[in-house]
Amino acid sequence: MEISSLSLRARAVVEGFMSGLHRSPRTGFSTEFTEYRQYSPGDDVRFLDWKVMARTDREFIKKFEDETNLRCTFMVDFSKSMEFGGDDAGVKKSDYGRTFAASLSWFLTQQRDAVGLATFDRDVREFIPPRYRQDQLKTILGRLETQPAGNATDLCQALEKLASLVGKRGMIVLVSDFLSPLDEMERCLSLFTAAGHDVRAVQVLHPREVDFDFEDAAIFEDMESGRNLILDPGMAREAYQQKYNAHNAALDAMFSAQGIPGFRVTTTEPLERVLQRFLEERPARAVVRQRRSNARNAA
Amino acid sequence: MSFLTPLYLLGALGLAIPIILHLLHDRPKNKQEFGSLMFLDKTKPPVDRKRRPTHLLLLLLRCLALLLLAFVFARPFVTVDDPADAALRDRQWITVLLDRSASMQRADLWAQAKAGVQTTLGQLGPGDRFTLIAYDDSTELLAEVQSWLGSSSGAEVNAQLERLAKPGFGGSNLGQALVLAGESIEGDEPGGDELETDEQPLARREIIVISDLQKGSRLGDMQGYEWPTGIKVRLEQIGEDDQGNAGIEQVASRSPWAAAEAVPSFRISNSVNGIGDELEFLAHTTAGETLSQKVHVPPGRSRVVELPGEWADKSVERLAIRGDAAEFDNQFHFAQNRQQTVRIVYIGEDKPNDAEGSLFYLASAFQQSSTLDFQVEAVSGKSSGPLPEADLFVIGDAVDDSLAQALGQAIEGGATVLMVVQSSGQAANLGQWLGADGVVIRDIASSDYALLQSLKLDHPVLAVFRDARFSDFTNLHFWKHRELQNLPDEGIDVLARFDSGPPAWLAARRGRLLVMTSGWKPGDSQLALSTKFIPLLYSILQPVLEGKTQSRQFVVGSEVDVTRFNNGQAGGGVTVMPPGDGAAAISVDTIFTPPAPGLYTAKGAGWSETFAVNLKAAESRTEPIVMDQFKKLGLPMTDPVASPGEIAAAAAAAEKTEAYRREYWQWALAAVLLFVTLETVLAARGSRPAEPVMIT
Repeated sequence: MEISSLSLRARAVVEGFMSGLHRSPRTGFSTEFTEYRQYSPGDDVRFLDWKVMARTDREFIKKFEDETNLRCTFMVDFSKSMEFGGDDAGVKKSDYGRTFAASLSWFLTQQRDAVGLATFDRDVREFIPPRYRQDQLKTILGRLETQPAGNATDLCQALEKLASLVGKRGMIVLVSDFLSPLDEMERCLSLFTAAGHDVRAVQVLHPREVDFDFEDAAIFEDMESGRNLILDPGMAREAYQQKYNAHNAALDAMFSAQGIPGFRVTTTEPLERVLQRFLEERPARAVVRQRRSNARNAA
Repeated sequence: MSFLTPLYLLGALGLAIPIILHLLHDRPKNKQEFGSLMFLDKTKPPVDRKRRPTHLLLLLLRCLALLLLAFVFARPFVTVDDPADAALRDRQWITVLLDRSASMQRADLWAQAKAGVQTTLGQLGPGDRFTLIAYDDSTELLAEVQSWLGSSSGAEVNAQLERLAKPGFGGSNLGQALVLAGESIEGDEPGGDELETDEQPLARREIIVISDLQKGSRLGDMQGYEWPTGIKVRLEQIGEDDQGNAGIEQVASRSPWAAAEAVPSFRISNSVNGIGDELEFLAHTTAGETLSQKVHVPPGRSRVVELPGEWADKSVERLAIRGDAAEFDNQFHFAQNRQQTVRIVYIGEDKPNDAEGSLFYLASAFQQSSTLDFQVEAVSGKSSGPLPEADLFVIGDAVDDSLAQALGQAIEGGATVLMVVQSSGQAANLGQWLGADGVVIRDIASSDYALLQSLKLDHPVLAVFRDARFSDFTNLHFWKHRELQNLPDEGIDVLARFDSGPPAWLAARRGRLLVMTSGWKPGDSQLALSTKFIPLLYSILQPVLEGKTQSRQFVVGSEVDVTRFNNGQAGGGVTVMPPGDGAAAISVDTIFTPPAPGLYTAKGAGWSETFAVNLKAAESRTEPIVMDQFKKLGLPMTDPVASPGEIAAAAAAAEKTEAYRREYWQWALAAVLLFVTLETVLAARGSRPAEPVMIT
């Protein structure tokens, strides 16, 4: 029931989205490229490009030639903080995020692209490598349906692990609220960008987190750490918003430094509009070129 | 107010319980889960303003009830004084010794000391006895109040204290002051008839010393002083944060013959806690010029610095050091010694350059020095002229009658005469001066040399050789000597004899006539070439030199004998001009005691001499005395042991107190009950959900 509900939700979203789409959105991210490198002794001869060798009498190594257009891995934050919401003011962040991932998975599967999923909180909980298979979507939706275990987020630690798990270059869609200290984050994200992945970040926030529009004094409990704080929201609001804005500004700066397109969405925003925004976005060319040259140097 | 069981007051700590409960009550009850608290800071817990006053009142009542309960258990009581008893309280006798030595001039020590006296005055009660003594080298009784009468007595003491605007320049003789205070208390022990019937005996005797307790204080007088029982001495040290000090003093010159070309030298010492080791040594000349030189003196050490040659040529009137924390002792006034003339007349036929004669060695022995100028004059014994004035006559040959007559008179008048018997022709002269007839001089013909023996080393002339290191005369060989016969039995001291028996050196008791039966010329003996010769001559001349050489350096409080100025011929009526312009001249007969440092001028008829007065060098040692030293000297610094009688009296007093005790615990208990009732009523009203709560 749950699974079908998510799949239905995803399908509804994608169909609503597709109906407004006249041109193929594929051009957005189907430009995979092949790279040649001069052969040097020790390289695997299986990767020699024989055609080029026959034509030019020189040995070239064909570094990539994937059979599909795109490999997309969704990395979805399953920490407790994503469970916020679900009251009168909107849906849970986790529901919103999972629906977003499910919808996009659906869409990509329909395009015959390989889709994978990683869920994480403090650590990587689940990793389904990107594949194009008949039952891949079903598996992903099933995994997305499981409830979060309730641990704290350590985005960085999880990303470090995932960087070693995600092998081939592809697209990474990171779905999280990004509400954790940013100290190490840039380094962790650079693990992906440096490896040539096309990373996109979707920051899912609840409107109350944006506005902090609580009325009554209460004991505020951190959903992840369980820490308690007695607060008068009226008094705390200004300071909260200052810090919140500073955090987001730092996050944006970090994304733009890494050439990562970032999408900040609240759970009240219609999902199809978000999908449209997402698919229309292209990475800035210069940044991509820079990133690729970085990746070459690293290699 | 006192408590019988004060430990129960700890129960007041229970106040924390209602306060904590009230705080808990103010916590909001509703819980709000939130994604992340990373952007949130703790704010003040919000309070429901409408209910607050009731809350506060309740809290107050609960706290008061608890406090009073603890109070009740602690059993408070107030002792009511018996009005008749109040007048008969214990009297005390406080003696304050106030240090006014030069070292108290540092920083604000004097103000602190005066404040210390005021504090002590504040502790006096009616009927107490109070004595204020100021001390430096001497002690001065400033104020004595037999029976303290509050502010009127205070005003009296303050008037005396105000008189001492500044500390003096003297050294500090703490030992003397303490002993004096102790003795005055001991001498005032109440005898049977002294004690008035309506006056309480003095229960406590305390000496309070208000001083910087500097290391330079003299404590010698306390050695061996038996402290009377029942006295307590309290030392109130001021200026414990002593930052060290450097001092300067002149190094005393040694024996006059060793200091032929002595350059004045100065000892600069730096205390252990001195702030630096680089000091500046300055000299101010009379021409207004300032010369300076760096001196390196590590803390805790001292260094002797000679006055540099180029400075000595200029007339230096004041030396100074710079670079230490305390300024008061950095000036050293310096009066250069004036050269005194000593005239020596040799009566004989020797040539001055004849190395075989006596005169040559005599003239060589007396070398000119910075303080003494010797003028040796030779006069023939056959000269018919008058006898010249001289401080020492040395007679080496027979003298004609007229001259002999004059010499005889001079001996009678106290002149110093050294007669060297070298020929039998001198017998008549000798007989005349000794007042004895028929003195015969006989040459001893001996092929062997003679040695001295039976030396009378306690005679002033030979006292210089008294030390065992110098009393060996066996190296001194006499080749030729004479024997005096028919000497009078009385009036003559034989200072030394030859080993064959006859006297070698004699001193007449009348006047200062010294006779040697063998001279120092090489034909007679080895005396002129021996190490004994110069000390012996100076020793003979000593009484003259003592009169002539008057040091120009004194310290504050020392006795200056003004009669010794002007070559010992100052005579009566000397005027002393203190330093500073416009100071009034002081007329002095014999002894002058300078009160402050500086350059003084002594003036007489037709002469004037300058002398310098400085602080005592010990005053520069400002580091505090180690307290152990006072304990070693037996200073009673702890409370005197109570006698059995006093213990009994104390017990009786305690009983009396019991009788006058008023307890108040019942009232406090009643108040507790009242507060609890009120609290119950208020709490009951507050818990009724009467008023709607407004949501803000």
